[in-house]
Amino acid sequence: MATDPHLFTDRQPETSEDDSERDLHTAHQVLNMGPSHPATHGTVKFLIELDGETIVGLDIQVGYLHRGFEKECESGTWYQAIPYTDRLNYNSAILANIGYCMAVEKLLQIETPVRCQWLRTLAGELSRIADHLTRCGAACLELAAMTPFLYGIEARELTWDLLESLCGARVTSNYVRIGGVKHDMPPDVPGVARESVAKIRGLLRDFDDVITSNRIFVDRLKGTGVISREDCLRYAVTGPILRSTGEPLDVRKTEPYLVYDEIDFDVPIGEVGDNYDRYLVCVEEMHQSLRIVEQCLAHLEKLGPGPVNVLDPRVRWPAKGRVFNRMEELIQQFKSVTEGPRVPAGEGYFAIESANGELGFYLVSDGSAVPYKVRCRPPSFINVAPIPGMLKGSLLADLIPTFDFVNMIGGECDR
Amino acid sequence: MPGKVVKVRRHEKLGWLERLYVPMIVKGLVVTSRHFFRNLRGFVSGKNRTDFVVQYPEERVDYPDAFRGMPVLVQLDNGQPRCVACGLCEFACPTDCISIVPGEIEGARIERYPEVFDIDMSRCMFCGLCEEACPEEAIVMSREVEIATYDRPSMIYEKQQLLVPESLLKRRLDFLRAEYDRQHAAAGGRS
Amino acid sequence: MDDCGSPVLRRLLEALPDAVEETHARLGDATARVGRSRIVEVLQLLRDDPELEFEMLTDLTAVDYLGEEPRFEVVYHLYSVAKNHRVRIKARVAEDAPEIESAVALWPSANWMEREVWDLYGIHFRNHPDLRRILLYEQFDGHPLRKDYPKEKRQPLVGPRN
Repeated sequence: MATDPHLFTDRQPETSEDDSERDLHTAHQVLNMGPSHPATHGTVKFLIELDGETIVGLDIQVGYLHRGFEKECESGTWYQAIPYTDRLNYNSAILANIGYCMAVEKLLQIETPVRCQWLRTLAGELSRIADHLTRCGAACLELAAMTPFLYGIEARELTWDLLESLCGARVTSNYVRIGGVKHDMPPDVPGVARESVAKIRGLLRDFDDVITSNRIFVDRLKGTGVISREDCLRYAVTGPILRSTGEPLDVRKTEPYLVYDEIDFDVPIGEVGDNYDRYLVCVEEMHQSLRIVEQCLAHLEKLGPGPVNVLDPRVRWPAKGRVFNRMEELIQQFKSVTEGPRVPAGEGYFAIESANGELGFYLVSDGSAVPYKVRCRPPSFINVAPIPGMLKGSLLADLIPTFDFVNMIGGECDR
Repeated sequence: MPGKVVKVRRHEKLGWLERLYVPMIVKGLVVTSRHFFRNLRGFVSGKNRTDFVVQYPEERVDYPDAFRGMPVLVQLDNGQPRCVACGLCEFACPTDCISIVPGEIEGARIERYPEVFDIDMSRCMFCGLCEEACPEEAIVMSREVEIATYDRPSMIYEKQQLLVPESLLKRRLDFLRAEYDRQHAAAGGRS
Repeated sequence: MDDCGSPVLRRLLEALPDAVEETHARLGDATARVGRSRIVEVLQLLRDDPELEFEMLTDLTAVDYLGEEPRFEVVYHLYSVAKNHRVRIKARVAEDAPEIESAVALWPSANWMEREVWDLYGIHFRNHPDLRRILLYEQFDGHPLRKDYPKEKRQPLVGPRN
């Protein structure tokens, strides 16, 4: 495929005194990396302009996984978009579920029951752990450290098993509903969860022992992919990348949603804004998420059984036990399923803190049962944009850790 | 709001031991051998297995109660589906993978039944909205996931392939009913 | 025009009263619709005013109101880290001249998002440094998020083997 003409300067060989530059053919080389490169976990193409091994220009071409998420959402009911949000980010499907459903709830102006909010927080934090584990594990793998990757994936396996017994599926959980969650926590989950949290802590300790002060790993990360706080803000970069520059911006703290204002957790920040800081911030965030998970479990037990769905028949489908036996609920079920909630006309933007940064949903409703516009503000897409600036002048090998810790998820980036 | 901002501890200067590579290699060996021997012991003795790898076709994992596999139709004792072909699952399905043609039996206790009930498994995404929509508990998510085939036409499951006796779906039905009861109780008896 | 109790809108109305066409703060989101030709001026004020300090262009998208005139609406979501407030700025763009001034000079984050809006809605951003398609390929015909683009429409496959 032809390179873009106005991105790369056609550098003419410079004339010098002895013409050695011209004789040595020092023109820049354009290297095509991707779309399916083993060292980038994501389908993305890099066109890299190289001077020797130094990157002088970089064009990132995304869109290989574009499947029309927003167009697809505009063709079904508000409910039918929920399984599609699962497919945005394969690591943290629940967070996308929560973002979408809470945006719809904002338009509907309803408040979900307390138990539902704690359940959502629990599930969301588990997926955040899974996301960070994938990011750190895969980064180690792509820097040729296989063992920590296996420990990371083992810990992710534990979180996914936990999500499976909570939601019914490991990856495409489809758990959160408009006005509630699919079902309450099965009774065996808290016990398994406590065991898993302890095991994940152990695995994180092993992960830490093997890699954090390993000189090869540290040398590959320290000082690479540096971005300043101001650049982050200008590029609207959020999440661990922004926090690694020392700016403690976390939507969970600045605009608390769900029950985050009742939970005790810290926001880790870095100071330099390089890949090593990003790694440390992610690891610390996992420990904080584990703390949140424990608090959620304790609180859910204290809370005792209770409703997990709003009891508004215009929003949530009626309770199933009644549908089987009573005419009114049966009629209501037919009406709810064929039509779904009618969302009042208007527009709303709701943002949550996903594992990669601010995940926002901007919804426009025309008052009907079908969304008029579903816009997902994908943190992956926006965080990828400043990579060329982060890498200009550094070595080609630095692209791999930088791209890993930006953690572009193809499904979310390309939608 | 509780919680604070913490600065991560950066190893700004590695100690000379760390710069020497050797201690890290030893540390790494200790950690990996600990994992290796623990996994080996569990694997050989068969008790307290800590390795995550499952020797797949011979060994299988047990899915939790909430697990959603492929959707199937509940078969009553008389061999007929419980489905009354109301078409709610067809409506609820985001991918339009269900197609139903209703039929009628004159004079029977339950008159309506599905003449044709096809699910295109190549489009189904196991989201479970059909199960949630069904007013008859007639379509449920089974524990079956091994449905890979070599061609697309055989991914379209017809009614006879989808029918599963109620006794085999007991675990899923029990899970669903327990959840209905809990929600019913939580709502204070109201729907 | 009403500031709807939002300090951001009040400051905006004070500084540029003639640029704002409509305001609301429904559901707690301060929103202002401004004239298309004044968009850069408004955004510049929002970024540079010490009372507002919107350092971040969080999101940029468009909505197609097919059948209304002007047809498109470009939507900007801004966030201020220093002040922890948000605002939504909208500008209407007509169908026959779907053009608006680019915001890349103010926030580089607009670069990719404007490319996306161009790709999916066909709204042209003037003075954008590199307005190419981003999610779709160059040979793609049409702009798929427009309401009159049929969902089922198929496009020819392109590639080295076709």
